[in-house]
Amino acid sequence: MTAGLSRAERRLRRQNPVAVKELRGRMRGARAFIVLTVYLFLMSGFMLLLYMLSTASQDIYGFTSGGQVGRTLFAGIVAVELFLVTFIAPAFTAGAISGERERQTYDLLRTTLLPARKLVVGKLVSALAYVFLLLLAAIPLQSIAFLFGGVTEAELILAFVILGVTAIVLGAVGVFFSARLPRTLAANVTTYAVTLGITIVLPLVVFIVFAIVNSTIGLRGIPADVQAALLYGLLILVATNPLATAFATQYWLLNKQSAFLFTETVTGSDGVIMQVTLISPWVLFTVFYLIVAAVLVFQTVRRVRKIEG
Amino acid sequence: MTEQSAPNIPDGGSAEAISHTPIVPPVVPADAEMIVETRGLTKRYGKLTAINNLSLQVPKGAIYGFVGPNGAGKTSTMRILTTLMLPSSGQAYVAGYEVTKDPRAVRKVIGYMPDFFGVYDDMKVWEYLDFFAACYDIPEKQRPEMISDLLELVDLGHRRDDMVDKLSRGMKQRLCLARTLVHDPQVLILDEPASGLDPRARVEIRELMVELANMGKTIFFSSHILADVAEICTHIGIIEGGQIVMQGSMDEIKRRLMPHREVIVTLLDKADEAKSVLGGVAGVVEVTMLPDEAGRKRVRVSFEGDDTVMSNMVQALASRGIPMMNLTEQSHDLETVFMKVTKGIVT
Repeated sequence: MTAGLSRAERRLRRQNPVAVKELRGRMRGARAFIVLTVYLFLMSGFMLLLYMLSTASQDIYGFTSGGQVGRTLFAGIVAVELFLVTFIAPAFTAGAISGERERQTYDLLRTTLLPARKLVVGKLVSALAYVFLLLLAAIPLQSIAFLFGGVTEAELILAFVILGVTAIVLGAVGVFFSARLPRTLAANVTTYAVTLGITIVLPLVVFIVFAIVNSTIGLRGIPADVQAALLYGLLILVATNPLATAFATQYWLLNKQSAFLFTETVTGSDGVIMQVTLISPWVLFTVFYLIVAAVLVFQTVRRVRKIEG
Repeated sequence: MTEQSAPNIPDGGSAEAISHTPIVPPVVPADAEMIVETRGLTKRYGKLTAINNLSLQVPKGAIYGFVGPNGAGKTSTMRILTTLMLPSSGQAYVAGYEVTKDPRAVRKVIGYMPDFFGVYDDMKVWEYLDFFAACYDIPEKQRPEMISDLLELVDLGHRRDDMVDKLSRGMKQRLCLARTLVHDPQVLILDEPASGLDPRARVEIRELMVELANMGKTIFFSSHILADVAEICTHIGIIEGGQIVMQGSMDEIKRRLMPHREVIVTLLDKADEAKSVLGGVAGVVEVTMLPDEAGRKRVRVSFEGDDTVMSNMVQALASRGIPMMNLTEQSHDLETVFMKVTKGIVT
């Protein structure tokens, strides 16, 4: 397809003018670096606070567990980052297309040869690039947890994947509503409603269901296959939101030493013992949300491409 | 389809050259091909018909003034021509491409400036043009020179590294015009290019438009400022209530609407006698009595021919001792034409 193109033409096809423009604007002057510095400063302060709190708690022999401190620091930083991603990714994208309309530059872009795909992807990529910059910048802080032990590289990588996928899907939600709704305000409100649904409401639902399922599993009178089905259902529910996914992934990582597949044993009412093979929730979460993000981006491109009737 | 190429701004197209260029619109041959054409174009918004069976014809190389009152359907027509909106029925062609069937080809040949600035305030002047050049697939290597040429053309070369929000209104408008040129389009579609500008900025925009037309671009622009249109247009289309009420070259329209020259003769007395005397002068087509004005009698005389006929009228009246006070030729300006053909209908 691209065989007949010159190097310059191929280069031109790869470039995304929207992403270049957005990144240039976002990183212009001292603002971006001041924000980054303040962010790292606050994160460091937060870590210090967590460190002081965890070292203050001693076990019955008067010792502080290094592994416990490491895990607390790590979990604290990841929680703050999740909070950050939840707020920043939609904020950067919910005004992406509607902002062009309000600035009255949308029509100009639509009469150029810029494909709708490049416009949408450029907006999303530039917004996510800054979010990823913030996440990457905090990795050295997260790595301090290694000094105390209790945290593995696998946890660090998986936390980054979960945060990254969350940023991508929330960014896609923002761009989607930005193209659908005429005003940035409406797009922002709708995007944050969805975001809160994913990050607050769903974890609550998961927590309630988990409590019910947990009390059910192992109960007499429930067959093993029903318990297995409940476990699968719980796993799927966990994978619908980043918070539950992060907790469950770490739980199973610590208890089963597996980041991918593991088995749980359930005992049925008839005394049947069943080995249930489960997949780590981060895998389901990643696959599910990347598909959702792809569908949202595709729909946004269709919307942008559509000529006003 | 012509290959995409970087703009080719002639050396003469510098700011210096423009500021001394008299406003002389290009001459468009009568048999020039139509570069913008609509056939039976109709646009309805629910029950409201914004454009009704509109048939436009813009010859190649023309400066076509699209004139009409607010709400006449000018912007709707332009949005269809620029592939931003679909018509309810009818066809529109730009450079031979049907706008609904081949929008990408149409976008390659048009430069569109809406009736608002549409600028990114958080960009530098050169970045703004570079961004749009990239959107038009202009190779990176060609952009710096092209941007310099365009900025010189619109007299913004010295503001290259300034932020766009620091520019004045007139400068922003000129920057927008430069933006429409980044891909060297054949047709410029400009919606109210002079609206909201101060008198000096308006003159500058007008001069730029003529300069661009002389560089071979076809300019299709809308306006409700008749003076702008009258001074620079080669062609005009008057739209009202979503319909073209008249279009053609400026001379053609004036001829069609005012086939005869007209004078108003003001008399102290003997108006009836004057009417019969003037009716007998060779070349006079029609003599009409007008109502008195401040006690003075008035007669309108339509005639064919040159100034000799007017001189003969004066002599005929004087020889009969009819007390004539003055004789004034009626001007055939665009405003008169406009008022004659429009009825004040707004959709």
